[in-house]
Amino acid sequence: MKNDGVADAIGGLLDTYNDEKEAMQYHVQLKNGDVSDFVILPGDPGRVEFIAEHFDSATLVADNREYKTMTGKYKGRSVSVTSTGIGCPSTAIAVEELANVGAKTFVRMGTSGAMQDFTRVGDKVIATGAVRYEGTSVQYMPIEFPAVASHDMVAALVNSAADAKLNYHTGIVQSKDSFYGQHNPEGMPIAAELLQKWEAWVKGGVLCSEMEAATLFVVGSYRKLRTGAVLLVAGDQAKGESLTKEEYKQNMTESINMILEASLEIEEESSNG
Amino acid sequence: MFNNKIEQVKHLPLKIGEVARYVIVPGDPNRVEIIASVMDSYTLQGRNREFNAARGTYKGTDVSVVSTGIGCPSTAIAVEELAHVGAEVFIRIGTSGSVDNSVEKGDIFIATGAVRDDGTSKQYIPIEFPAVADFKLVANLIKASKDLNIDTKVGICQSKDSFFGEVEPERMPVAPYLDYKWKAWQKGGVGASEMEAATLFTLAQIKKLKASAVLAVEVSDEETVKKMTQIVLECIHIMEMERLNEK
Repeated sequence: MKNDGVADAIGGLLDTYNDEKEAMQYHVQLKNGDVSDFVILPGDPGRVEFIAEHFDSATLVADNREYKTMTGKYKGRSVSVTSTGIGCPSTAIAVEELANVGAKTFVRMGTSGAMQDFTRVGDKVIATGAVRYEGTSVQYMPIEFPAVASHDMVAALVNSAADAKLNYHTGIVQSKDSFYGQHNPEGMPIAAELLQKWEAWVKGGVLCSEMEAATLFVVGSYRKLRTGAVLLVAGDQAKGESLTKEEYKQNMTESINMILEASLEIEEESSNG
Repeated sequence: MFNNKIEQVKHLPLKIGEVARYVIVPGDPNRVEIIASVMDSYTLQGRNREFNAARGTYKGTDVSVVSTGIGCPSTAIAVEELAHVGAEVFIRIGTSGSVDNSVEKGDIFIATGAVRDDGTSKQYIPIEFPAVADFKLVANLIKASKDLNIDTKVGICQSKDSFFGEVEPERMPVAPYLDYKWKAWQKGGVGASEMEAATLFTLAQIKKLKASAVLAVEVSDEETVKKMTQIVLECIHIMEMERLNEK
């Protein structure tokens, strides 16, 4: 038989997948017991430590590629934070592997660009659904399937945002694959499609643009996970506005505290089962 | 699109001002009076084609009931024209089939989103856009059902255009395609299959209206329709109280 080496390699990967409870997960480098049932998902690995500073305690459990994970406690509840890297492809890997080792609830925490007049920099957007303008979720589910967050997670986030008296919105966000396709659509070979679709999303009332939520929600539906997303509006292309460094940090803290308070409304489940 | 001087819309038997802010939208015109009869009082406003209209009050709140007919094409017409004559909040009451094994016959299902397996919503916005129900409306439907001690399930439904493509897929020329998609919806956790929600949700989002749907799974008896109506009317009451408090 030819290609034995390849077959072995693939077999090895499958073993990793099949022994999901025991095995060290290939990309996130986590095994059962390393993470909480509740995981916060920022995009940037450089943001993981800052997020964990808002826990009461936290330890670093893994750091591989763009995936950095810290696990700890907040007001007695166990919580983890894992970075996904930018984009839906690396996010799907993170969510699948975290679910393999017992994570049940996933809340993305990220930044976004405003798409409506009333979504102002500093506002927090709690996503109820996401436009699937990305290539990963269609390798899970046909495009007609809606990328929707879990109702109970959205409700918990709305409660914590209201309690903290934050400016927040609930609604649909746009997930894209090409960052520069949004920021410089005219320069792209498919400019006409990019511009036309953007206008359709704006008319459809889409609140802000980001790069990971759609796949998180679709993979979550398929793997029966609880999902949500809090997106800080960090910039506004149309108005030429963005947050200063100080404002940004303050707003990040607000987003983090909002998610941590919402985690207390989600009943803690064993991540070992 | 509409000539504002012509108050009578083209398809519905209604003029501007003849509809309540809250509208219950069943598919079946014959279900309109059954639903309206659960209110404290109602009057029938007339019928044209599949669009049958009634208006009444429940706990002091003005509520309309207007049928959409079967399918997203006639639903889109109903929603456009209802919005034109003054409706703002749309709650579909309908029947459905079960898709995955999380729902079973007799369940009452509240939809948070819908699979856009329809042709109409694509003539409004590209397919990547999700058909999502209004969050607040879903939250109040859940609250109302808990207040009334009626069990419900919450999740994603599928909206299709071909009824017989669902019930007898094997006899269709596109049988493998239907089978492949159906299996995907099952794995994706879709609970109920019906024929109007995707366009209702998409159009509501575009037109800045609120919409949601309450579906009975594999039953369509009068008692179940009335039970769903109770949930919906109680939800409308909660929303109207909230609205008056905010004022």
